[in-house]
Amino acid sequence: MIKARRQWGPTFWNVLTYILVILFIFPVIWTVLTGFKTEAAAYAPNPTLFFQPTLTEFATAFNSSFGAYLFNSLVASLVSTAIAMVLGVPAAYSMVFQMRAKASNNMLFFVLSTRFIPFAAIIVPLYLILARLQLLDNLLGLILVYTAMNLPLIIWMAHSYFMDLPVEVMESSQIDGCTTLQALLRIVVPMAAPGLVAAALLAVIFAWNDFFFAISLTYTNAPTLPLMVSAFMTNENLFLAKISALATLIIIVPVVLGIYAQKHLVRGLTAGAYR
Amino acid sequence: MSTVSYPGPHVQEHAATGRATSRKPFSWMQLPALVYMIVLTQVPFLLALWFSIHSWNILQPELGFQFVGLTNYVTTFVGDPNFWPVLWHTVELVVGSIVIALIGGTIFALLLNRPMRGRNVLRALVTIPFLVTPSVMALIWKNLILSPSFGLVDWLLHLIGLPAVPWFSSFPMASITLIVAWEWTPFVMLVVLAGLQALPDEVIEAAKVDGASLITTFLRIILPLLRRSYEIAIVFGTILIFQTFGEIYLTTAGGPGLETNTLPYYTYRMAFNSWQIGQAAALGVIGVVLAILAARGMLRLIGGQRIDERSVEA
Repeated sequence: MIKARRQWGPTFWNVLTYILVILFIFPVIWTVLTGFKTEAAAYAPNPTLFFQPTLTEFATAFNSSFGAYLFNSLVASLVSTAIAMVLGVPAAYSMVFQMRAKASNNMLFFVLSTRFIPFAAIIVPLYLILARLQLLDNLLGLILVYTAMNLPLIIWMAHSYFMDLPVEVMESSQIDGCTTLQALLRIVVPMAAPGLVAAALLAVIFAWNDFFFAISLTYTNAPTLPLMVSAFMTNENLFLAKISALATLIIIVPVVLGIYAQKHLVRGLTAGAYR
Repeated sequence: MSTVSYPGPHVQEHAATGRATSRKPFSWMQLPALVYMIVLTQVPFLLALWFSIHSWNILQPELGFQFVGLTNYVTTFVGDPNFWPVLWHTVELVVGSIVIALIGGTIFALLLNRPMRGRNVLRALVTIPFLVTPSVMALIWKNLILSPSFGLVDWLLHLIGLPAVPWFSSFPMASITLIVAWEWTPFVMLVVLAGLQALPDEVIEAAKVDGASLITTFLRIILPLLRRSYEIAIVFGTILIFQTFGEIYLTTAGGPGLETNTLPYYTYRMAFNSWQIGQAAALGVIGVVLAILAARGMLRLIGGQRIDERSVEA
């Protein structure tokens, strides 16, 4: 009796787990499946899991200036992340290795608070500033804003990983007579590389996934992929398979990057409060 | 902030090496980042404060840019019949989705903390809703899952003989809350799982030996030990869910009526639909103040007296 329960208890929970996980991510599974359907199949009264897959709607997506949107998304997220790394990593270095603990903490709280400002509160001034600088509907304008959005993330993640480095690191660099820049680039950055890569990946995801700034600050010249989906829908009569194919192409990037950086997600999202 | 453990052990260790005196209150290496953040977040906020005490409608330039003192704030609180309903909708969305995410995330964390085949793959799969582009998935939810004519859910309802439900017109806020909760459940799962993994196995084993039921074990032992995890999940989750925008814009556009207008969404509309910049700026400032108050309030509520005065300053 007891033996039976020992065998069946875990099996029950395992099966339940599998079912719940599948149900939970079913909207995503369904999106990918529908992307491989024809429009007629997507609108079938009885949805089916088994069908003749086709790449028709992926081709439609590619032929609808997907390339231009992709270019904007890639440039905006990659360049803003690169700038945020160049600005943020030295800042985190100085906070961990050069500044007094109290000053360093104040900086960290300031950094955190800039990320907690509701974006809607500063969008009008940002809009007007960018308009004045002729940077509205301009990729550079979007890059500047995404850099500001991701800088706190980069700083607090880099800070958190630098804190994990052994004290000896800095002492040895001092004995070797490294300049600050050498210590940062040759010793600290390589040692914290996995964490810094994860920070950069998260920043790319956040910029890639942004809708708010993209819809507020761009129109025809610099729209990113999230804006393409709604534009795509209004132009087509039957659109379920089309938006699914397009959605699949868009979400695959953050999903792959995010799963790769999964171990670092918690730390990244909680300002390093949790390791 | 009480939940964030700064300074970490290494700052103290570094200080202990005797170089504490050489440490500076400021370093040039942080200057570029600091200046950048001030220019792109603090300056716009100060501008918003400045706009908020002026009357300025971009569509009526002949009215000019006039100083009106606190009129915009008074208008918001007293004269605008939409403000309080909007505030209430904001609370509905934020509280509703964080509560669902907390429950769902805890269930997944407990299930995926058990040793089982494919556990790492399952954990990766559960994080997906948090990673996928929210605006894109909002359109998918609207058209593929919850659509009364072509949605999966309504097809299931049809199978069991129930009529189709136009989710986004009959239950607009509940539908959006569901989507947002779905996105944030993985976040809670990850934070709670990190907490569970830090618990010593003996604690849970001891409870099992004592014959405590699953629920008792969770409520009496695991939950109190995971308090810090939940504090973090609630504070970060709430503040970031408050910013929800694309999910509303693309499913209900704030309607029907005002029903799914939240404060950030209403602020956006005041700015970019009505072009009442002064009024929108006042709403934005109120949003910032509320975010600060909410963060502090939550920390005080869940963190006891450990609150730090500098917790979250705009």
